[in-house]
Amino acid sequence: MTRLTIASVAAASLFAGGAYAQTEITFWHAMGGALGESVNAVATQFNESQDDYVLTPVFKGTYEEALTAGIAAFRAGEQPNILQVFDAGAATVIGAQGATIPVQDLLEANGTDFDIEDYISGVRYFYADSDGKMIGMPFNSSSPIMYYNVDALEAAGVEPPKTWEEFASVTAPALKEAGYTALAQSHLPWIFTENFHSRHNLPFATNDNGYDGNDTQILVNNDAIKAHFTALTEWQDAGYFEWFGTGWGDNQTPFENGEVAIWLGSSGSFGGLAKKDLGFEFSATYLPYWEAVTTEPKQTFIGGAALFAMAGKSDEENAATAAFFNFLASPETQVFWHKDTGYVPITEAAYELAAEQGYYEEAPAAEIGIQQLSLPAGDNTRGYRMGFYVQIRDVMNREYGRILTGETSVEDAFATIEEEANALLSRFARTQG
Amino acid sequence: MKRAGFTTAWLPILLLVPQLIIIAVFFYWPAAHAIQSSFYLQDPFGFGSTFVGWENYTHLFSNSEYLRIAGFTVIFTILVTFLSLGLALLLAVKADKVIRGAHSYRTLLMWVYAVAPPVAGFIGLIMFDQSWGPLTEFAQMLGWDFTLGVTYFDTATAMVVVSVWKQVPVNFIFFLSGLQSIPKSVREAALIDNRSASGRFWDVTFPLLAPTAFFLLIINITYSLFDTFGVVDTLVKGEPGNNPMTLVYKVYVDGFRGNDLGGSSAQSVILMVLVLALTVFQFRMVERRIHYT
Amino acid sequence: MSDISADTLATDRSSAPPKRRIKWSTVVDHSVLIVGSLFMLLPLVVLIQMSSVPDVEVIKTGPSLQIGDQLDDNFNKAMFQASGFSGENTGTSMLINSFILGIGFAVGKIIIGMMAAYAIVYFRLRFATLAFWIIFTTLLLPLEVRILPSYEVVQSLGMLNTYQGLIVPLIASATATFFFRQFFRSVPEELVEAARIDGAGPVKFFIDILVPLSQTMIAAMFIIMFVFGWNQYLWPTMITTDEDMFTLVRGIKQITQDLEGTNIPEYGRANLLAIIAIIPPVFVVIFFQSWFVKGLTESDK
Repeated sequence: MTRLTIASVAAASLFAGGAYAQTEITFWHAMGGALGESVNAVATQFNESQDDYVLTPVFKGTYEEALTAGIAAFRAGEQPNILQVFDAGAATVIGAQGATIPVQDLLEANGTDFDIEDYISGVRYFYADSDGKMIGMPFNSSSPIMYYNVDALEAAGVEPPKTWEEFASVTAPALKEAGYTALAQSHLPWIFTENFHSRHNLPFATNDNGYDGNDTQILVNNDAIKAHFTALTEWQDAGYFEWFGTGWGDNQTPFENGEVAIWLGSSGSFGGLAKKDLGFEFSATYLPYWEAVTTEPKQTFIGGAALFAMAGKSDEENAATAAFFNFLASPETQVFWHKDTGYVPITEAAYELAAEQGYYEEAPAAEIGIQQLSLPAGDNTRGYRMGFYVQIRDVMNREYGRILTGETSVEDAFATIEEEANALLSRFARTQG
Repeated sequence: MKRAGFTTAWLPILLLVPQLIIIAVFFYWPAAHAIQSSFYLQDPFGFGSTFVGWENYTHLFSNSEYLRIAGFTVIFTILVTFLSLGLALLLAVKADKVIRGAHSYRTLLMWVYAVAPPVAGFIGLIMFDQSWGPLTEFAQMLGWDFTLGVTYFDTATAMVVVSVWKQVPVNFIFFLSGLQSIPKSVREAALIDNRSASGRFWDVTFPLLAPTAFFLLIINITYSLFDTFGVVDTLVKGEPGNNPMTLVYKVYVDGFRGNDLGGSSAQSVILMVLVLALTVFQFRMVERRIHYT
Repeated sequence: MSDISADTLATDRSSAPPKRRIKWSTVVDHSVLIVGSLFMLLPLVVLIQMSSVPDVEVIKTGPSLQIGDQLDDNFNKAMFQASGFSGENTGTSMLINSFILGIGFAVGKIIIGMMAAYAIVYFRLRFATLAFWIIFTTLLLPLEVRILPSYEVVQSLGMLNTYQGLIVPLIASATATFFFRQFFRSVPEELVEAARIDGAGPVKFFIDILVPLSQTMIAAMFIIMFVFGWNQYLWPTMITTDEDMFTLVRGIKQITQDLEGTNIPEYGRANLLAIIAIIPPVFVVIFFQSWFVKGLTESDK
C-alpha cells in the first residue's frame, strides 16, 4: 500500500497535475461489524462516482486503537489521509495543531463554498474551534435520547415523562406498580454528565467549556448534577432505577427483555432495537430535564466520532480527501448512511431529503435524535473541549460506579472527580507547551 | 557456574550477537525512549512537550487509586499463579497416574491452551453474562447475586477464574512432561524408601520437578502480570469504571488509550523496576535450592 | 494431590494389593480428571452451541441445550466471507497469516534463543552473567507498553506491512533463552567432558549432541511460541494496514465490534471463527506432545 501510494504520488507529479493517474488515499476507521460494511459501501460508492480518486478504508480496531495507530503513524510520516477520531479524543487531535488540516480550510482551498450553517445545529460546533471553524467532519453522529416500552407505559397508564420531577412522582411509581423497573441508561458520563449540562444549559467547564484555552477547570461539582445523582440513588433504593455497570449492552438488555420500561441510549440504537424483534412496541422521545433547574431545556450535542484530514500530504491527495468529504456531506450519501446505520444525518438538506422520502413515517424513532439536536441552542450547548478527556471519563465512570454500589457518597464522588479531572487538565495543558 | 565450558572466544560472541542486536533495537531502544519520556509531559503527535522531572512519578505515588490498583495486581498475580500452578500440578499428577484413558485426558485438558486472551475474555463474558450467563446462574443457585461489571469483587473473581482457566493447560503440559521424564528407577527406589505417598511426592518427585516448576513460576508471574491484559480488557468491556484492573492494564488505559505518554511511561518504568526486583529475589531465593542435574 | 504416581506402579507389579483402597484412589483420580476436563472444555462446547443458533436468539436467551441449524452457514461466513473492503481478509487468508506469524515467530525465537543460551551456559565467558541479565530484562516490559517507539523503529527499517515487521520485534524477549538456559544447565556435565575427550569442538557438540538432546524442549518451546505468535492482536493492528495481512484475532474483533447498540454483531460467525482458531494450535500441541513425551522417556535409560 505504501509503495503504491508513493508510486501514485510520483506518477501524479510526473504527469503534472495527475490528469491520467488516479490518486489513492487511505481512511483509517474504527467501525467493525455491520458498521464497517456501511463504511465500505460508502467508499465503494465514492470510488464509483468519479474516476480521479481511489479511497481505501481500513479497519484499525477500537476508537482508541485507531487514534493511537494514527498518532504512531503520524510521528513516523506514515499517516493515513483521513483518520476517524472519537468525541473524547477530539482535544488531543485538535490540540496538536499541525497534525490535521481543518476540514473547513481543506474544503475552501479546494473550491467548496463551505457554510457551517448548512449543518444541523447540535452537530455544527462539537468539532469546531473557538471561532466556530469546523476542524473535523462529523461522521457517525448520535445523541442520547429516551426510549420507552409503549406497552409498559400503557399498562401503567402514564405518558413518557417530560421532566424528572414527573418521572419521580408519577411515572416511576406507576411503572413499579405495573411490575417494571422504570429506568436504566447506558452511558453515565455521556448522558448524565456531558449532555446533562447541555440540556440544562449549565457550564461544564471554564473557558467556554474548554474551547477557548488550555488552562481549563472542570465545573462538574455543581448542585444541579449532584442533586441528579442523589435522586438516582434514591430511585435506585426505591426500585425505580437500576444500573448494570459500564457495559453498554448490559444496560440495554433488560429494556429489550421487557424488565425495564424506559432506557436512555443513543439515537443510533434504534436500528439494533428494530432488528431484535422485541416482544413489545417501543418508541422514543427527548431526554427529560429538571424543572427545578431550568424551564427552558436546550438541545443536546453529538457524540460518536469525526473524520480528520491528516496534514503532511500532497495537494493531489488533499484534493482527493476534500472530494470525499464533499461526497460524504452530500444529502444522498448522508441519507444512505442515516438509514443504513441509524446515525443522524449531519446536514439540514439531508434531513429534509430523508423526510421527503417518508423515512420518518416508517421509523419515527429515527427522527428524535435530529429533532433534539435542533432544539434551541444556549451558551453551553455546543459541546466541550477537554484534554485527557478519556481519563476524565474513566474517573467519572469509576466514581459513579462507586456511588451506585454504595461505596462512596455523591458529595465525595464529585469532589474527587473535580480534583482528579483538574489535575489531568493541568497535565494536559503542559503537554501542549 | 560450575559448568566445564569451552574456551573459544569468538564463537560465544557470534552466538550471542543476533539475540543482542534484536533486543537492542526492539527492546532497549524503545525502553530507553520510555524512560526518557517518563520525565516529560508530551503531546502525543510530537508537537509540544514540557520537562517535568520526577513529577510523573510523584504524581503516581500520591494517587491512592494507583496504589489500590497496585494492591489488586499483587493479589491477582498471587492468586492466578498459585491457582493455575496448583490445579495443573494436581491434574498432571493424576493424569500421570491413571492407566486407562490417560491419553484422552491429556488431549482434552490441552484444548484451551490455544485460546487467544481476548477470546478467553469473550468466553468469560458469555459464561458470566448478567442476564443468562451459565456461571452467573450457578452462582445465583448458591445464593450469590453475581453481577459482572457492577460489583468490584465479582468482576475480580471473574478475572481470576478466566485467567486461571486459560493458563492451566500450559502448566499441565509442562508438569506432565516433567513427571514422565522422572526415571522409573527413581520411582521404584522411592517406593522402597518411603512408604507414604505424599511423603514420596514431596521428598522425591517434587525436587525433580523443581527446575520445571521454577521456570513455570516465572512464566506464570509474567503471565499474570502482563498477558492477562487481553482478558482484563475484554471483561471490563474497555470501560474499567469501578472495576478492578492490573498495573499493565492501567499503563494501557493511560498511555495507549488516553495518550498520556509521560504518565504511562513512568508507570512502565515503575513496573519494570518492580518486576526486576521480584525476579532477582526469586533467583536468589529459589535457584539456590534447585539441583540442576 | 496426596497419593502420587508410585501407587499405580504398585498396582501393576505387586500381585495382591489391598483392593478397596486402590479402587477408591482410582475413582478419585478419574473424578478429578473428569471434573478438570469439564471445567476446561464446557465453555468451548457452549461456544459451539451458540454458533449453531441465530444471533438474535443468542443475544436474547444465551446458551441453551438446543442445537440449531446455523453451523453450516456460520462456517461458510467465518471461512470464506471477507469482512473488509478489498475482500481479501477471509477466514482462510487470516488463518494463513496467523500461521506464518506463529511459525516464523516460533522458529526465529528458538534458533536465536538456543544460540544465546548455549553461549551463556557452555562457554567461559566473562560477561556471561551480564549477558544473561541483559537478555532476561526483556521479559519485564511487554510490547504493549512500548508501542510508539517500536512503531518508529519498524517504520525506519521499512518493515511496515511486512511479515518481518510483525515477527522480529516480537522475538525481542527472553523466554526462549531463559528456557534453554534452564534446560542446558540440567544436562549432565559428563557429556561435555566426554565430547571434549572425543575431540569434538563446540560447534560439533552443539549440533550433534545438544540439539538432538534438546528435541523435546524444542518441541515444548515451539508450542508455546507458536501459540503466542498465533494469538497476536495489538501489534499486528498497529503495523499492518493491508487487509491481506490481517490475523485471526483481529478478524474476530472486527466481526464482534459494535457501537452504541446500533446492530446485532454476528456472534455466531465470530464464535465459530474463535473455535476454528483454536484447532491448528491444538494439532501442533498434539503432534509435538507425543514427540516430546517420547523423547523424555527415551532419555531415561
